[in-house]
Amino acid sequence: MTSLYAPTGDDVKQRLRPFGIFFEKSLKDLIKGIRSNNETPEKLQHFLAQALSECREEANSPDLNLKTNAVLKLTYLEMYGFDMSWANFHILEVMSSSKLQQKRVGYLAASQSFYKDSDILMLATNLMKKDLKYGGNNDVVKVGIALSGLSTIVTPSLAADICDDLFGMLSSSKPYIRKKAVTALFKVFLQYPEALRDNFDKFAARLEDDDTSVLSAMVSVICELSKKNPQPFIKLSPMLYEILVTISNNWIIIRLLKLFTNLSKVEPKLRPRLLPKILELMDTTVATSVLYESINCIVKGNMLEEDDFDTAVRCLECLQTFCDSSDPNLRYISCVLFYKIGKINIAFISQFDKLVLRLLNDVDVSIRSKALELVVGIVSEENLKSIVLALLKQFVDEDTIVLQSGEPNFEVANEIPIIISEPYKIKMVNTIIHICSMDNFSMLTDFEWYNTVLLDLIMLSQDISEPSLGCKIGEQLRNSMVKVPSMREDTLSTIIKILSTDSVYTQIAGVLKECFWSIGEYSSQVDNGDDLIQSILAKKHHFAAEIQQVVIIALLKIFTNWSNGHSDLDLTRLKFIMEELLNYFQSLSYSKDFEVQERAVESSEILKLSSEALQEDGDGLPLLISEVMPSLFNSYELKPLSHGVQMQLQQNVTVDCDTPFLSTEELTEILEKNTSSETGAFTEDSLESDDGKFAYNEEEADDSSSGEKQPTEDWELSKEEREVLEKRKEEERQSNPFYLAREETTSKSINGDLLDFSENGDDTEQSSNTIRLSKQQIISPSVGEKAKKEKKIKKKPKRRVEVLPDEVVATTQDVSNNKPSNIRVTPSSQSVSSLAPSNKKISLKTHTMLENFDFSKPKDALDESNEDIGSGAQDEQDELERIRSKFANQGLVEIQPGEEDEEVVIVKKKKKSSKKKNKKTSKTSSKTQEEKEDARQLA
Amino acid sequence: MTHIKYFVLASRQGKIRLTKWYYSYAASEKEKILKDLTPLVLSRKAKMCNIVEYSDHKVVYRRYASLYFICGITPEYDNELLTLELIHRYVETMDSYFGNVCELDIIFNFSRAYEILNEMIMCDGSIAESGKAEVLQQVKTMDTMESNDNLDRVLS
Repeated sequence: MTSLYAPTGDDVKQRLRPFGIFFEKSLKDLIKGIRSNNETPEKLQHFLAQALSECREEANSPDLNLKTNAVLKLTYLEMYGFDMSWANFHILEVMSSSKLQQKRVGYLAASQSFYKDSDILMLATNLMKKDLKYGGNNDVVKVGIALSGLSTIVTPSLAADICDDLFGMLSSSKPYIRKKAVTALFKVFLQYPEALRDNFDKFAARLEDDDTSVLSAMVSVICELSKKNPQPFIKLSPMLYEILVTISNNWIIIRLLKLFTNLSKVEPKLRPRLLPKILELMDTTVATSVLYESINCIVKGNMLEEDDFDTAVRCLECLQTFCDSSDPNLRYISCVLFYKIGKINIAFISQFDKLVLRLLNDVDVSIRSKALELVVGIVSEENLKSIVLALLKQFVDEDTIVLQSGEPNFEVANEIPIIISEPYKIKMVNTIIHICSMDNFSMLTDFEWYNTVLLDLIMLSQDISEPSLGCKIGEQLRNSMVKVPSMREDTLSTIIKILSTDSVYTQIAGVLKECFWSIGEYSSQVDNGDDLIQSILAKKHHFAAEIQQVVIIALLKIFTNWSNGHSDLDLTRLKFIMEELLNYFQSLSYSKDFEVQERAVESSEILKLSSEALQEDGDGLPLLISEVMPSLFNSYELKPLSHGVQMQLQQNVTVDCDTPFLSTEELTEILEKNTSSETGAFTEDSLESDDGKFAYNEEEADDSSSGEKQPTEDWELSKEEREVLEKRKEEERQSNPFYLAREETTSKSINGDLLDFSENGDDTEQSSNTIRLSKQQIISPSVGEKAKKEKKIKKKPKRRVEVLPDEVVATTQDVSNNKPSNIRVTPSSQSVSSLAPSNKKISLKTHTMLENFDFSKPKDALDESNEDIGSGAQDEQDELERIRSKFANQGLVEIQPGEEDEEVVIVKKKKKSSKKKNKKTSKTSSKTQEEKEDARQLA
Repeated sequence: MTHIKYFVLASRQGKIRLTKWYYSYAASEKEKILKDLTPLVLSRKAKMCNIVEYSDHKVVYRRYASLYFICGITPEYDNELLTLELIHRYVETMDSYFGNVCELDIIFNFSRAYEILNEMIMCDGSIAESGKAEVLQQVKTMDTMESNDNLDRVLS
């Protein structure tokens, strides 16, 4: 560009430049160029690439003006996402210019681009030291620029080096310098906490500075420092308090409040002194941000005690007026604060239910979303339904924002629809589920209503692409199925409704797993299991592997309950259903999913055996179906378990693989009997049943419920009077109420209430009829059913539905062993969660030396470490020389631009690693070695 | 631990006009934030609040004519209202500096816009100077010094 043979022309250009006359492509041209090449992305990209290569050339020029210009343009281009770290050396050169204009550009570029490049920072260190000591006539500005730069870029060694200079500047006559020095000291303290310890009083004295901007900077800096390590600043509290009382500048008051928040977290003694003052401030101030920060300070600074209702009400009333304001920002932040106050004691916010309901219908969805978090705090038995209704309505209703313009009477209603985002919908579903199921359904009185809500939720959340929602709703259905015995029929009919909706299978498949499990487990309440099986099989193509796992067993359960639940069973129908099931299971026995495969093979084998037995046994059901299969599923009443109990039990189980299931005598006895009555197939099946018995006996001691005894009795009967069993069973089925509905056993076992029992019995029969109907025509019969139900509810309106509590295992043995294991789970998960963010902090943030710095250590104790730093500085000095010489070479030797850059990059990497090593080992010998190597590479 | 994480100026067309990072993000993170921010903020309607949650932090924005001033803040430490106030103070300061500031002023004099910002927000994003006059005076002094400096050179 600039040739050596035309110096005069160049001089002219250079002279004209300060007046805004440029001959090279200036920043203005660049910006205009970007704007005119905006039509297509390709064109723009092309233009930018071209501009960038021009910048590279210009930056390499020895003319500092050109270089400055290039750096400025690069700073602009950085906004477009171009990496400008390759130009760091050029920036440094511009920074070192003696011209103020260029220096300014250089420091600006540096503050934008120097972040983690340790090489450049090292070079900058020396430059800055020089700039700070500059004594010319522009020194205020120049030092100011350097100090601003310093507050963005500081390294530990630089910090140690310049802190004395900075402390000197604290007593400068110019407030601007004092202010800049204070802000620069902030970064120095972070890197070199010793400086703060040794000069604490000198620094703190600046709090009495009569210049507001210095005071403001002081308060800001102490506030920031106290975030990281509040301890040393506690002794300043009286002084800070004095400032808080006297000052009227709202910015400083807010900073002070923040500062006190940090201090009060570690020093509870501050509270009695501060709280009255803050409350007074809340009364007197007019600025909402001060008001907000006051409440923030009370809440976050641990000044609000759990039982301090007066203060809480004072804050909440203030927030309530915020919530009623027309400013959405105020509404939003007060929602957030409401939540935080509610977290201290949920009773504080429970009276604000109307307010929260109003906020739930705010025009701004993000405020609604915040209000949703509050719902948990205000929910009660009385308002649960209305809250859920309000939420459900939001799924359906098209809300609009009305932007009013013009006169109230002739207003042009400009309606903008409120877009309810998917995350918000998900949050709504989760909230509904959470408030309904909270504390083991303690808020819920009407489970029938809850079932309809769940059904609605399933229909509404079909277009939400969040798979966990389906699972959650499914879990709710399962929980109410298991935990609320008196509502099982209703829940079951809800589930059947769900399963007969086609869109569920494709849209919200997560719900299916729990639905199938429930329907299988409680299929004794379904009268026409054969139709149910067929309807499930009709949908078989929709099932994913994890659903197949559940479906297989569920089908088997339904089949068992159905085939045993009817005295007048049509055998051809039975065979047909078995055939269907067998086909399905066999189709799955080659599934890729191991679990599915195993379950399918298992089930199909049982079915095969049963059908063989059925073939041989012309009349009546074979034992395999009538006894063995029920014993597989119906041995125990399943009860809700509290979290982790199963784990505890599993620890106690020892598997005994040595003792045979049958003693040899028993075996021969059975074999003999077999040969007398039936053939081979039976052996297997008696083995199966023995298996069942074995499992049962093992745990019998734990259970005392009468319902569970039932299968064993049957089994014993069968063992003794096998021949007459068929007939006996017929009779039994008619006389024994257990065969009608297993549910009765449960309710009996729980409350033993005879009246309840008989009523339930009635209902069961009705409901099984309904289910039979409802499977073919879903809606119409269920309406009639509802009417009946309503009558029932009217009869006993205040009856509270019983919810089973979670079972907790109280095994006498190993309690001491189990407890710790249970506890162990919680802290480990906590520690994981607390670890995660701290890890993140380490990886993202490089400098936090202040955080762990111990201020109590005396000065001389740290001599050693000072020495370390000293030697480190020495190392860096050497390093500096080396980089400088390299830099000089780079400037002089004209290599092709592309190559040169590449080389710079390579060398840089080398250096980095070598420098790290140096820091660790601090062995000068090895270092010089490496330096030599580097130098060789350069050459 | 910083308090303001970044300060971004975006136009209504989604063009970035100014970026200032107070937190050491990696280049890819920066890119992602910029890409996510503009649609997030542009999609907000009037009458909605000026605070949005975005990934692990909050974003406070304010619109002035065709420009959106966007601030990423740490919710635990920051006062959202104060941040809004700060944005306003910044715009006011630029307004007096440029005299009825418009988007083009900021584009062509971006280095001045940065300098004003640097005078206001220091120490990794903690606010240090709130006085408008103070900032203005400083930037103006620098401008005059700079031109004097240049003049001296040319004359010599």
